[in-house]
Amino acid sequence: MSNSHLFLKPAFITTPGQNGVGRYFCQLQRVVLKFCKNNGSSRGMREFIENKLIDFVKETPEVAVYMKPRRHRTPIIRAEYLNGDTQWVNARNFTEDEILKWLQLLKTQSSDKTGIRLRKLLHTDHPSVQGPWTPYTFRDPKLNLAEFPSPELAGPHVVETTATEELLEMYKNQQIEDVNEKRAE
Amino acid sequence: MSALKRVQQWATFARIWHIYDATWQNPFKSAEVVKKFLMGLYKPIYHPLNDCGDHVIIINSGEIALPGDEWKKRVYFHHTGYPGGASWTLAWELHTKDPTMILKKAIYNSMDGNLQRRHTMQRLHIFPDANVPKSLLDNVSNQIRQLRPVPTRLDRYTAEEVASYPKLIDYPKDYIIR
Amino acid sequence: MLCRQTLNLTSRIINQNLIPIQFINSRNIKRWVSPTIKEINRRRKKVGPDPIKPRYSYLEWNYDVELYCFGKRVGETFKDNFLREALVQREYANVEEFRAEKEGNESYVPEESNTQLASEGHKIIYNYIGEVYLKSYPQDVTTAIQNYLTSDKLLGHVAKYLGLTDLVKSVEYPPETKTLADAFKAIVAALESSSGLERAQLFVKDFVIVQMNGKDVYDIWTPERPFDYLMKLLEEKGIKEVEPRLCNQSAVNTILANYQVGLYNKADKKLLGIGWGESVKIAKDTAALDAIQKIYCKHNSN
Repeated sequence: MSNSHLFLKPAFITTPGQNGVGRYFCQLQRVVLKFCKNNGSSRGMREFIENKLIDFVKETPEVAVYMKPRRHRTPIIRAEYLNGDTQWVNARNFTEDEILKWLQLLKTQSSDKTGIRLRKLLHTDHPSVQGPWTPYTFRDPKLNLAEFPSPELAGPHVVETTATEELLEMYKNQQIEDVNEKRAE
Repeated sequence: MSALKRVQQWATFARIWHIYDATWQNPFKSAEVVKKFLMGLYKPIYHPLNDCGDHVIIINSGEIALPGDEWKKRVYFHHTGYPGGASWTLAWELHTKDPTMILKKAIYNSMDGNLQRRHTMQRLHIFPDANVPKSLLDNVSNQIRQLRPVPTRLDRYTAEEVASYPKLIDYPKDYIIR
Repeated sequence: MLCRQTLNLTSRIINQNLIPIQFINSRNIKRWVSPTIKEINRRRKKVGPDPIKPRYSYLEWNYDVELYCFGKRVGETFKDNFLREALVQREYANVEEFRAEKEGNESYVPEESNTQLASEGHKIIYNYIGEVYLKSYPQDVTTAIQNYLTSDKLLGHVAKYLGLTDLVKSVEYPPETKTLADAFKAIVAALESSSGLERAQLFVKDFVIVQMNGKDVYDIWTPERPFDYLMKLLEEKGIKEVEPRLCNQSAVNTILANYQVGLYNKADKKLLGIGWGESVKIAKDTAALDAIQKIYCKHNSN
């Protein structure tokens, strides 16, 4: 078992600025593709720019895409979100499909999610319909009039009758019968 | 936070004061019951890191009943820390010295030995008899039910009650009661 | 970019030049490495953190593209000149004009600032919120909500999450909350001039009124004397007498005392509202608040 998750930053699920309640707006505001024009590690990036970038931009006009050629450096995707986060993705030796997948991920995220551990997978503003519990919720109103300590409230709830009580009951019944018999005579 | 939500929180975490009559009760079984109220275990909001324990007033701790021959056999150990400082006190000895001690120790031992235990014990108020100060008694708003019914002792019945009590058998006239 | 930044930093650090660093060429253990790094780190700490660079100072920056993307992001079509005007802070426009005068630049066309648009936008937002909330709440509650939703703090927050931080032309960077809020108001006015009042109101609904989601109206508005307010409300409904009852109490002699008070209609003995508090008076007031909420809630559901 690994403890690597312990070092991740704990977080809760949030929606920035009530996004999606009124209308949804993409949280990725711009992307910078940095690449080299002749280095082999940028080959996938160059192919992506040639073949797929135009389609991507047409699909997502809300994201500003910049390209930045630099000599002999590893290709990088730099994403900037509306909440101020910037995320770097090292795109060394990525194929064009991989780059597209990464861009799709960045587009659908609301912020930089790397190194974050979600403490709960759900969130609600209204955890209870009935309202929170209080010590008075299921309290017997009779207790308001009781004087403490009260002998009626002291003993346990006894459901079964004891042998003594049964005998006493029998004795009482006998007495009543005797009286009835006497009356009948 | 609005005023309503603030008092909602206040109400949820309100401290309740309970009272428990220890007359003729087994202190070790009672400890298990009282502990739940002291620590707030009965509340749906209970959490070990949550300060939701209640106060419990125990009255008549001098009247507790130990099962079997526990008065004679139960031993309380104490060591002063110095060589030869060990001492063993029998339950009846301890009870004559301080009639609240057996119940207090029973409740203390029924809880886990963590840092919270001594703070929880601060919320326990034990009285050897029924004389509780008025200021404490005013706080009480609930009574914990006893584990066993308390029978009336034979010498507490009045003479009339004894006379009117039905008899199962009559002794023969020549029977001698020792 | 990165290279230039590093060079800047290095020169800033070395220019301090407090202790000369000496390099000795010999094939020994490099005893200079550790003290040099330590000294550089020390100077780095002393220089302090880098100033925040505005996004427009980067090489990869195209304002036209950013404006186009902004329009697409919020899903509205703006007339270009209105949108540009809405994003210019007044101080910024003044400063630019002064600079052009100083430099003797005669071809400079002064930029319009968003002051006019912001005040128009404020009116649109304020009135529309009133229109929406007056349907279900009385005037004093509505006013409180209007003031809350048009406050600089809230509108600045909304503007920040629309990405206006980088788009606003302002003297300071990052722009202050008020600048952002003004820009947002101006954008609403710009939208009204571009696509009509209806779109602008929809925009306000989707970005401003939505901020009330998950918030309680009663967090924002609370009457000063809830009980008196309740009595006034009840008189309008024909209930004249209210009976407050102490329903529960606990730990009365301690500082953790808690009381529960219920307000009952004296005529039909029905519960109007229930509340708690550390004293009977507070409990009574919160019970009145609860009753007020229930009355408005009932009124809104009908």
